[in-house]
Amino acid sequence: MRTFMIRWALLVTVTAFLGFSALSSAQMTRYEQDQRLGTEAHVGNLTGHAHAAKENYRRYCVGCHGEEGDGEGENAVWLDPKPRNFTLGQFKCRSTPTGTLPTDEDLYNTLGRGLVNSNMPSWNPLSNQARIDLVAYVKHFSPKFQGDKPGPPVQIPPEPEVTAERIKAGQAVFQKLECWKCHGVEGRGNGPSADTLTDDQNRPIKPFNFHDGTRFKCGTSDQDLYKIFMTGLDGTPMPSFADNVKPDEAWQLVFYLRTLQPMQSKEKQIARQLGLKPINPNSTPTPSPQPAASDTPATAPATAPETSPAASPASPPPADSASPNPPQRK
Amino acid sequence: MKTEYKYRVLALFSALVLFSIAILISGRTVDAASGGSITGKVKLNGTAPHQRGIDMSKEPTCAAIHKDKPVTMENVVAGADGGLADVVVYISQGLSGNEGASSEPVSITQKGCQYIPHVVALDVGQHMKVINADQTSHNIHPQPKNNPEWNKSQPPGAPPFDVTWANEEIAVPVKCNIHPWMHGYVAVVKGPFGVSDESGSFKLQGVAPGSYTLTAWQETYGTQTQKVTVAAGKPATADFTFTAK
Amino acid sequence: MRIWEQFRLQRKLPVATSSLTMVLVIFILVLSSPPANALPAFARKYGLRCSACHEAWPMLNYFGQKFKDNGYQLMNDRDAPIWQNPSYWPVTFRIIPLWHRESNNKVAVDTEAQSPGGPIPAERRISSSGFDLSGLDFHTGGTLEKNISFYVLPSSDATASFHFETVMGRLDNLFGSPWLNVKLGKFELDNLVSEKRILTLTAISGVYQTYHFRPQGDGNIFGQIGDNQLGVELMGHSANDRTRYSAALLSSSDGQVNLPYGSNAYSGFFTASQAFNVGKWGVDRVGAYAMIGVAPTSYLTLTTGGTATPIAGSGTGNRPYNREGFVGLFYFGKLDFQVVTQHGWDSAWFGAGYGDFIGGNAPNNNTPGSVLPPGFRAPSWNGYLVETHYVYSPQLIFIQRSEWERMSQQADPTVRSDLGNVDMYTLGYRYMPIMTSRAGFAWHNEYSWMRQRGISPVNSRDVSSSSLLLGFDFDF
Repeated sequence: MRTFMIRWALLVTVTAFLGFSALSSAQMTRYEQDQRLGTEAHVGNLTGHAHAAKENYRRYCVGCHGEEGDGEGENAVWLDPKPRNFTLGQFKCRSTPTGTLPTDEDLYNTLGRGLVNSNMPSWNPLSNQARIDLVAYVKHFSPKFQGDKPGPPVQIPPEPEVTAERIKAGQAVFQKLECWKCHGVEGRGNGPSADTLTDDQNRPIKPFNFHDGTRFKCGTSDQDLYKIFMTGLDGTPMPSFADNVKPDEAWQLVFYLRTLQPMQSKEKQIARQLGLKPINPNSTPTPSPQPAASDTPATAPATAPETSPAASPASPPPADSASPNPPQRK
Repeated sequence: MKTEYKYRVLALFSALVLFSIAILISGRTVDAASGGSITGKVKLNGTAPHQRGIDMSKEPTCAAIHKDKPVTMENVVAGADGGLADVVVYISQGLSGNEGASSEPVSITQKGCQYIPHVVALDVGQHMKVINADQTSHNIHPQPKNNPEWNKSQPPGAPPFDVTWANEEIAVPVKCNIHPWMHGYVAVVKGPFGVSDESGSFKLQGVAPGSYTLTAWQETYGTQTQKVTVAAGKPATADFTFTAK
Repeated sequence: MRIWEQFRLQRKLPVATSSLTMVLVIFILVLSSPPANALPAFARKYGLRCSACHEAWPMLNYFGQKFKDNGYQLMNDRDAPIWQNPSYWPVTFRIIPLWHRESNNKVAVDTEAQSPGGPIPAERRISSSGFDLSGLDFHTGGTLEKNISFYVLPSSDATASFHFETVMGRLDNLFGSPWLNVKLGKFELDNLVSEKRILTLTAISGVYQTYHFRPQGDGNIFGQIGDNQLGVELMGHSANDRTRYSAALLSSSDGQVNLPYGSNAYSGFFTASQAFNVGKWGVDRVGAYAMIGVAPTSYLTLTTGGTATPIAGSGTGNRPYNREGFVGLFYFGKLDFQVVTQHGWDSAWFGAGYGDFIGGNAPNNNTPGSVLPPGFRAPSWNGYLVETHYVYSPQLIFIQRSEWERMSQQADPTVRSDLGNVDMYTLGYRYMPIMTSRAGFAWHNEYSWMRQRGISPVNSRDVSSSSLLLGFDFDF
């Protein structure tokens, strides 16, 4: 009887101890979370506080992005593309080089703009303060934002004038960089590799169809388009071209891509006058920089240095182009 | 009594000083290339599983390179005498923490729409060159867990670019979205490492004398560990055997 | 069906059958078009929770308002039904099983005292309580194609007798501009404080008194801005919905189908509003609205068996009326105030009991040779509505509303100046224990009290009525 009592007491003690330790560890994580709720976001003279966005996150975001910010909300299973997993600290729309954190303004703009062709709507009916608070809340999910700083923003040089030469040169860039491998020769998102593409969580993902809409994933302006291929869309197959595209070439590509879109534009008008045909990937069997460059003599000043593909002035500071991934510690 | 006590203190103190110096020196010897080494062989017990062939017809420039010898996947690469290639062997326990990264860069080359080598190992902070030797565009898209993920395009003829990794990670899968069959690994380790060749041989250089836990990682079969003791000036040996599944 | 059984039971009661029936009928009528627009159909389509669009369903927040203004579109080029799984069907049901207690302190009842004409009536308080049902709403809405949206709402009373509460198609973002959207059909007027999305449910508070007020004896039912109307609406808004306007041309029929009134009677409804960022408090909105129209007072009749029956569609003798006011939505973090004012003015003819002769709401028909009773003037009044919400969390909201209707000029100069004035107060809360994107479920509890000056049926005294309601409000 006595041994039974002792055994029983022992069991209770052990259970209580285990229970308590489990509880205290849970409290630890909650404590950590509370610590992270101090995360701030800054855009202009707005300051966002993560703790202030708790209710709004629950109200607006949680159905898709989940309580834990892991993109596993109750609706995630029904959505395509899938909601972002904030804990990875990885974002498509950035003004910063690939592999780096976005700026607060990047996140704030995404929140206000929404992401076309997805279920992420524009949240600009909310107040500016509510949105910047939500940015801080989004940041608080990822430990990366605790230690690392966003990358240096990609510099966007002034936009040159749209000319027929630049559009033709842009088409050559489209061919040279093999954009068509995924986006297709006509930019319809049906290139030879299109069907095999997967995102960072190995889920199928489709390349952008330029004929499908007037907006891009990360904005509508020429600058936004420029930014998309200079920064890449992290988490997707879309890489950064910053190391290999010079600003002039990038603008040419922007102008060419505009001719593929459905809406009327100066670019489209010029393309029609030129009778611009979709590229033929077989016409220049091995699209190497040399033939591509000789294809575009019209824009001599812009493409002349292309034949010697040396350093890339497009990628912002040399430190970054040297190593795309060193986390910028505080 | 009192003097005895004094001597004792002195003895203790000098022992402490000696010990610290020894530690300092031993710490230094780890950096030195003249330190000890660990060699060994990785063997595959059984027959390697069939490696699926790769159809590169969608990329004619690469298909041309391989027209004589069909390309296969490289999940298990076994040599003729049972040696297992592409196994990363590194020290997982016992390092003093003073090891510096090698200043020699490693490289990963995209050639014939394959990563050469298929598995590359390097130290935290060590430089890695990414080279495109093909006549087609590649995008290099590592998918790490402990390091930031990035994704860069490298058109044909583009210059190599340089990468470093901030955190230990074994191993980071690397893929090219344009050519979905391309895959490789970058093992970011701390301290000395070796990668086995076709015969299964590997060598870790610059290992200071001491006791270590050695880990071997293979992309399909996972990890194996064993203890190894390195004596001064004497190469230690450690062999691993993975069983084919 | 059940209601009829109740009626039969009540007929066995010795006292007050007719009055009690009246109270019930009023209650049923009020609840017969439950004002729900919370659509799990949309939540299912887009994967957003109710709370994303609703401050507390069915009341919209700014995001939901923009979604509605876009034509039930998120504007991500995935709104067209072609993007939906074929099994998706945009239908939502809403019904409210409830318990309620209704009380009215001045109901005319028979007494034992007899006069030559029958029993002499007196006023008594009648209170009744019990379990009950609301009507059922079938909401179906969404898009037919990108930028073509629709909404159809067959709505029943608690006896499953249906009518079409809303039927409309809308061309959205004409010429790619959010400033041009055209809607045709029967729809809710562009009221910023929407009665169809009201958070209060009792017989008294289930409508906004301010949106339906008529002076005593007034025959104009056409100026009720709370009722869905038939017409065409042009509406526009800025990209972020901060600036909004709308202009609607409506048949002066109070939303009744089959052209029951005149052929040339139209009304216009206009709104404009602007929202402002107010820092950490949120977004505030101020706006104004006006309804200006004419409605018939004169109908052709056919007398059979001594009763003159008005002929539908024969209305002429249009007389003017107008309603106008300000709207404000003021947010202070979790607390918000919604304010509506209204100035109403009816032609003296309406004030004298002309107007809806067809529906029996006006006793008089303006036949040729009719003259206004001497001294009759155009009635006018002012209404005020202040609703307060405290949003404790997306799942719990506390509600207060106070409404005051004040006559400023009676049509009949001989009646007391405050005849028909209304005071209404309601207090309640809604608790939504679950919050998903599949269904809405709320526990609702509310108490309302209303006083109307001088309208008691026998002694012309003030009438007070109250209503207590507890129920499950759900849609799926």
